[in-house]
Amino acid sequence: MAKLKRWDFKQINRLHSKLLGLFISFVAIAALPLLVDSPYYVHLLIMVGMNSILAMTFILTLRTGFVSLANAAFWGVGAYALTLLVTRWDLSVWLALPASAVITGIVAFLVGIILVRNAGFAFLMLTALLGMVTVLVFGTFDVFGGYVGIVNIPAPEPIKLPFLPPIEFISKTPYYYLMVLLFIIVVAVLSTFYAAWSGRAWRAIDLSPHLAESLGINLFRYRLLAFVLASAVAGLMGGFYACYFGAVVPSTFDIFKTFYIHIYAILGGIGFAFLGPVIGSFIFTLVPEVLRITKEVEPIFTGLLLILLVMFLPDGLLSLLSLSRRPSHPGENMERIVRWIKASPRPRG
Amino acid sequence: MDLDVAESEILGLIGPNGAGKTTFFNVINGFLPPASGKVLFEGRDITGLKAHKIARLGVSRTFQATTLFMKISVLDNIFTGYHMSYKTSVWERLLRTPSALKEEERLKQEAMEIQKFMGLGPLKDEVAENLSHGHQRILGVCLALATHPKLLLLDEPLTGMNPVEIQTMVGLIKQIRSRGISIILVEHDIKAVMSLCDRIVVLNYGRKIAEGLPEEIRKNKKVVEAYLGKEES
Amino acid sequence: MTLEIVQLIVNGLGMGLIYVLLAVGFNLILSIPRIFFIAYGEFYLLGAYVTWAMMARWKQPFLLSLILAVLVPALLGAITYRLIFQRIQYSERRFLANAAAAIGLMMVLKQAALLVFGTESRGLPSVFPGILKFAGVTISVEKVVLILFALAVALGLYFILQKTNIGRAMRAVSFRADVASLQGVNPNRMYLATMVLGCAISGFAGGIMAPVFAISPSMGAVILPVMFIIMLGGTGSMLGAVVGGLILGMTIAFGQYFIGSGVAQIILYAVIGIIIFFRPGGLFGQAEEMGL
Repeated sequence: MAKLKRWDFKQINRLHSKLLGLFISFVAIAALPLLVDSPYYVHLLIMVGMNSILAMTFILTLRTGFVSLANAAFWGVGAYALTLLVTRWDLSVWLALPASAVITGIVAFLVGIILVRNAGFAFLMLTALLGMVTVLVFGTFDVFGGYVGIVNIPAPEPIKLPFLPPIEFISKTPYYYLMVLLFIIVVAVLSTFYAAWSGRAWRAIDLSPHLAESLGINLFRYRLLAFVLASAVAGLMGGFYACYFGAVVPSTFDIFKTFYIHIYAILGGIGFAFLGPVIGSFIFTLVPEVLRITKEVEPIFTGLLLILLVMFLPDGLLSLLSLSRRPSHPGENMERIVRWIKASPRPRG
Repeated sequence: MDLDVAESEILGLIGPNGAGKTTFFNVINGFLPPASGKVLFEGRDITGLKAHKIARLGVSRTFQATTLFMKISVLDNIFTGYHMSYKTSVWERLLRTPSALKEEERLKQEAMEIQKFMGLGPLKDEVAENLSHGHQRILGVCLALATHPKLLLLDEPLTGMNPVEIQTMVGLIKQIRSRGISIILVEHDIKAVMSLCDRIVVLNYGRKIAEGLPEEIRKNKKVVEAYLGKEES
Repeated sequence: MTLEIVQLIVNGLGMGLIYVLLAVGFNLILSIPRIFFIAYGEFYLLGAYVTWAMMARWKQPFLLSLILAVLVPALLGAITYRLIFQRIQYSERRFLANAAAAIGLMMVLKQAALLVFGTESRGLPSVFPGILKFAGVTISVEKVVLILFALAVALGLYFILQKTNIGRAMRAVSFRADVASLQGVNPNRMYLATMVLGCAISGFAGGIMAPVFAISPSMGAVILPVMFIIMLGGTGSMLGAVVGGLILGMTIAFGQYFIGSGVAQIILYAVIGIIIFFRPGGLFGQAEEMGL
């Protein structure tokens, strides 16, 4: 690793700009709920966080060459897992949250062993089937509450900290911080996998499956890994959703939600594992608000947006900034953004 | 079709187009199952094993069409070849323990050495698709070498190269052999085949029609017929 | 008991033929311009609603309504192809882009239909009232007419695709567009023609089922079973589409009667999943690489 030389200003600037960026975003994110007055906007931010993570999971499986249509289904599995654990077996929500991720991961593993063996198109169809069957299963069997769903899912139990009043999950703000925490955890876990040998294997499979195989990379194993990991993360989000919303209904987790998840990812740019989904879901969630698009017109807006994107900007919004999809060193994209910000015209004093 | 390769031997495999040479490689490699018969490697039956398992056993190959990880750098390409060489456990690698990081350094160094060995040193950060054709073919061989193979299958490594590049590649192949690696070489450039190979096998329509030392093959009537077509009577 | 079974068969046949038409049309658009046209169900809906508007609002005769039910979706299909899909045909990742655009289109059309036509289901007075009775079996005349119409169109399609020049041109383009263009066929025109034909079929299906079954704003969801028919029968295989459609129709008719639609659907999907797993190309199709 290159040592930080005292006189290497370029390197120091690079490091400083990264740290500065991190610090600013940290403060901004932490302060957000205080700046924003209405709980509705806090809710929107929470949804942005959740949707961007769901979009990240889509990109994870996409990186191994497989398009999955089951994203919302695993989201649902996690939601129902937490719901049943908490309502039927009186498990604490704090235990049920990680449990929902684990359970979804196990389900994904069992299903994945069968599904991941296939070629890309078969995988697509099978995950579409999976998506439909999951919703059907949730709706048909009474243990899941049928098509009406299950309501009155309790909120997470209050956190008791020493010297401070307990944090109760009544208003939306505590949920916001919980989402931020989960977000950080998910991004940390995913980046670890991406940066390590597993990420290199995924990249190899994405670029040339044949070559990867002849270099000893077990395609099935790494695709399965991506699939299970993505699904477990989606399940975690499902668990959060269940205790945040307080109710689960099968129709929430249908294939249309999966399409929306894809849209968040495509909007931002599928070349970007983290930044793309965040930007995509941010813009998608907030722009309709700004434009005051009503619920009735929203699908038309979304549909048109998707069509225009695919026609004119297939690499997503981030491609406008001509950021490299595969930065040659970590932080290169961040540097480019900072440079772009610095380069915008400013009045000379 | 029946042949064998000894250690440190360069075996040439020639034949007219469509004779089945690449198919043969695909069978050995694990991409295709054989219609009949067996493939034995170091005494072990590897017929029908999946390609990545066969790679783990020490069989590596290059492809007829330049096959690389186009969008990443030369160094990253070769580094991917070291996938099988990790000795640390999965957990150590995920948690980025010092031993895992040290191993990554070590493998990176090895990748750089192979680069230098093959003459690609100065290009290490260049994106693969920007390389010249000749360099790309060489990179393909680097990738195959990164897996520490015992047997290397080279599928037409000299295609589309100018005489200078051909010289370089021929020299490199000889150096690879001197490291103790056996090579099966499929090539159309007869001169190179004659100068490099210890033995030659000739295929036509999926069948072996001749086998022997280069001198014998040159004189073999069946081989000439296969390439030029039967003489008009 | 046998009477009920015959009844179920007729019902299954009626619904099944609708599925067959839709599956064939969907397959056409999938194989030739390579669009995974998930918006297809909305054209079916459009055909049904046009028929309804013509007959219930403007009191037009059935035949005229049916003609419009075919023309309006066909025209809309042509417009969307020209505006949207034509641009995508020569780009990278064409299949994914087509599919994504189709999803967007579906959203727009679905919501637009909801806004224009309202949320309640509609019905039409029967065009061919009356019941046939023979051998103790009761069938409504309109179901028989539906079956006959559908069969006629299906056969007509077969004829067009197999015997006419334009049909051959279409099939050539689905096979190898570049080679076909060397033969003087303009692939883009064929794509447009296929879209028009496909959407016309969809509108027709909506038109003939309108007097027989209920019309609702969520009718477009029929595309989901149709997708699975294609998967089951094999993408690119017309025979597969036909067989699949009939099987689906029968299964739903029998399943609803004997088991109850929820469980029946789950079982059906599980079976489809198993079949796809063992034969990714479907029952009849060749496993086509869709270029993902």
